[in-house]
Amino acid sequence: MEQKILQKDQIAKLYIELSEEYNIYAPVKEKGNIVFKKISNSDQIELDYLNSKIPPKEVLFPQMEVLFEYKLDGKDVEIIDRQDLDEKILLFGVRPCDAYSFELVGNFFKAHGNWEDEIYLKKKENTTIIGMGCNSPRTTCFCTSVGGHPFQKDYIDLFLTDLGDKYLVEGISDKGKEIMQKLSWLSDAKEADVKKSEELAKQAEESFTTKFNFDLVTKVLGENFENPVWEEISESCIGCGSCTFLCPTCTCFDVIEENDKYNNRGRRIRIWDTCQSCLYTLETSGHNPRPDKIQRCRNRIMHKFSYYPENYNCLGCVGCGRCIQACPVNNELRIIIDKILEIEKEEDEKAVA
Amino acid sequence: MRKQLPNPYIPMLTEVVSITSENKVNDIKTIELKFKKEEDYKNFAYIPGQFAEISLIGKGECPIGIASSPTEEGTIKFTIKKMGTVTSGFHNCEVGDTVGIRGPCGNGWPMEDMKGKNIVVIGGGFAFSTLRSLVLYVLDEKYRKDYKDITVIYGNRDSGEVLYQDVLEEWDKRDDINVVLTIDREEEGWTRKVGFVAAIVKEVAPSPENAVAIICGPPIMIRTAVAELVELGWKDEQILNSLEMRMKCGIGKCGRCNIGNKFVCVDGPVFSLAELKKMPNEY
Ligand SMILES: Cc1cc2nc3c(=O)[nH]c(=O)nc-3n(C[C@H](O)[C@H](O)[C@H](O)COP(=O)(O)OP(=O)(O)OC[C@H]3O[C@@H](n4cnc5c(N)ncnc54)[C@H](O)[C@@H]3O)c2cc1C
Ligand code: SF4
Ligand code: SF4
Ligand code: FES
Repeated sequence: MEQKILQKDQIAKLYIELSEEYNIYAPVKEKGNIVFKKISNSDQIELDYLNSKIPPKEVLFPQMEVLFEYKLDGKDVEIIDRQDLDEKILLFGVRPCDAYSFELVGNFFKAHGNWEDEIYLKKKENTTIIGMGCNSPRTTCFCTSVGGHPFQKDYIDLFLTDLGDKYLVEGISDKGKEIMQKLSWLSDAKEADVKKSEELAKQAEESFTTKFNFDLVTKVLGENFENPVWEEISESCIGCGSCTFLCPTCTCFDVIEENDKYNNRGRRIRIWDTCQSCLYTLETSGHNPRPDKIQRCRNRIMHKFSYYPENYNCLGCVGCGRCIQACPVNNELRIIIDKILEIEKEEDEKAVA
Repeated sequence: MRKQLPNPYIPMLTEVVSITSENKVNDIKTIELKFKKEEDYKNFAYIPGQFAEISLIGKGECPIGIASSPTEEGTIKFTIKKMGTVTSGFHNCEVGDTVGIRGPCGNGWPMEDMKGKNIVVIGGGFAFSTLRSLVLYVLDEKYRKDYKDITVIYGNRDSGEVLYQDVLEEWDKRDDINVVLTIDREEEGWTRKVGFVAAIVKEVAPSPENAVAIICGPPIMIRTAVAELVELGWKDEQILNSLEMRMKCGIGKCGRCNIGNKFVCVDGPVFSLAELKKMPNEY
C-alpha cells in the first residue's frame, strides 16, 4: 500500500484542490461544540477533537430534510422531486466509529421489503470519507467491544494518522487511491513514519478502559424482555432523547408537511424522532404500545443490542460513547450494560447455590 | 454501480371518483380512487390484506388498509374512519380531489397458502375493510375454485354500523358462502343474529379441519373470539390477525412500528397467532 505524508500546514492546499470537485464537510467549532459543517475555508477546520458532539450522520441524514416539494393548484397537485442529490460530498476528519456508522445506516436503509431509502443511499454513494485514526480514545469510547478499532480503516476512503506535525496518508478504497493520485504533491512517507503510525494504533488499542462482552449482552437480552431490571434502568430517564438524537446509528424520523399557504406550495419533510418520546408510538385512538419509559428505554437497548443482531447479524452500536456523554441524568450506557450483565451473574449464582 | 431507484417517499397521484358514507353516524366513508397515470395503476399490484400510505398533499399521510379487491379493476377503495387531521381531511374530500398514494405496503393475507382450504372470516366493526377485499377476491370466478368453504361472521354494535351493505346483499344471494351477521343488541326489523361475535363463533362452531381463520376487529372481540376458536380445537398457526401500530413511512425506514425485531409495516401487518406469541407483547 502506498503511503504519503501531508504536512499540517498543507491542509489549506488540500482543501483548495479538493473543493473544486467536492463540497467539503469538516469538523468545525460552533457554540463551543464540534459539529460537521460545509466549509468555505480551510481555516474553519478543527481537527483537534476526539468526537464531534453531533455525529457526521447530520450531513447525510440531516435533522430536517425535504422528501419532496409540492405545488397546489385548485384540485391539482404538482410534486417536485429532490434535485440536489448529485452533490459530491467529501467528509473530512471522520473518526473510524462514525465511518462505520454510515455502513450500518446504509444497510438499514436498504433492508426491509421492496423499498430502499434512495435519498440517503444516493447521498452515501456520492460521499467520500477522509478519516482519521484516534491516537487517544476517550474514556467513554468502546469501539473495540463492538468489532471496531481506533484505527479501523475499512469504511474510510483515505485514512490519516496524526503524527504530530504531519499526517500519514493511506488510500484505502479506489476512491481514496484516486484522491492520493490527484494530490501529486504529497511527499513520500518514510519507514519511520509508518512504524510510528503502527505504534500509535497499538497504544490506542491498549488504552481502552471500557470493554464489554456484547455476545453475552445479546444473549441475556434475548432472554430478558420481561425483567425488573428495565424499571431500574429507566428510573432516572427523563425522556429527553439526547441519547438517540446524538447516536450515529439512530435513524428514526417523523414526517410532516410544511406549508407556505400564501403561495400554495409546501414540502413534505422528515425530522429526527426518538423512540424515547411517548408520542412516537401513540396512536390516534389513544392506544400506546409503549406508554411508559420502562418500555421506551428497553426498546432503545433492545434495538441496538438484540434486534439488530437478530436482523442483521451485527450490533447497532459503533461504540462512540456519545450517549454516555450526552445523558443529562447520567443514565449512561456503561451502567445499563453492567446492570444487564448482572442478571446473568445472579442467575449463575443461583445455579451454583 | 447500484441500481438507481425512485424516491420512495413520493406518492403516485390519484383522483377521487366516488365517496360513500358507510354508516348512520357518518364517521366512516369509503373513497374510491383512480390513478392519474395508467402505468402507476399497473405497478400497484396488490393482494387483499395489504395497506397503502395515502395522503392529502398539504395535510399529511396515513396508513389505510385497502378495502377493494384486486379483482375490482380500474379503481381502488379505502374505508376511512374520521379520527384526526388526515382522516378528517379525507372526510371533507370531494370528487375530483387529488389523493397521493404509496404502496402497496405490508404482507397481506396469505392468499397462496390458503388455497385448498376452508376460510373462516371473523370481523367486528369497521376493521372489516381488508376482509371485504379478501372475500371479494376468493368469490371471484377466477379464484373461487382455489378455495373451499367460505364462512363470514361479521358483528357490529348496531345495524347502522354495518358496512358494505351492497356487497353483503350480493353475498347473501350466493350459495357458495355462508354469511352470518350479528349485532350486539335486539333491534326492531333486524332478522339476523343478535349477540357478540364470540358467542356467534361458538354457535356457528367452524371446524378447524383444513381451515384458516382470519380475524379483524377491536382487541376485546379478537381475544374472546380466539378463545372460542381454541375451545373448538383451532391451533395458533391457523388463526391470522392484522395488527395496527402507529406508522409514518410504511416501508420499514422510520422505525416506529416495531414489535421486537419485526416491523409491522413490512413484516406484517398480518401475523398468525403462533407468530404473535413469539413476539414481545408490545402492541
Ligand atoms: C396497517 C394499518 C391499516 C389501517 N387501516 C385503516 C383503515 O382501513 N381505516 C381507517 O380508518 N384507519 C385505518 N388505520 C388507522 C389509521 O391509520 C389512523 O386512524 C390514522 O393514521 C389517523 O391519522 P390522523 O391523521 O387522522 O390522526 P392524527 O392523530 O391527526 O395524526 C397522527 C399521525 O400519526 C399516525 N397514526 C396515528 N394513529 C395511527 C394508527 N392507529 N395507525 C397508524 N398510524 C397512526 C399517522 O401517520 C397519522 O397521520 C390503519 C392503520 C394501520 C397501521
Ligand atoms: S448507542 Fe451510544 S455508544 Fe453506541 S453508537 Fe449510539 S451513541 Fe454511540
Ligand atoms: S439521554 Fe438519558 S435521560 Fe435522555 S432519553 Fe436518553 S437515557 Fe433518558
Ligand atoms: S412505519 Fe416506518 S418503519 Fe414501519
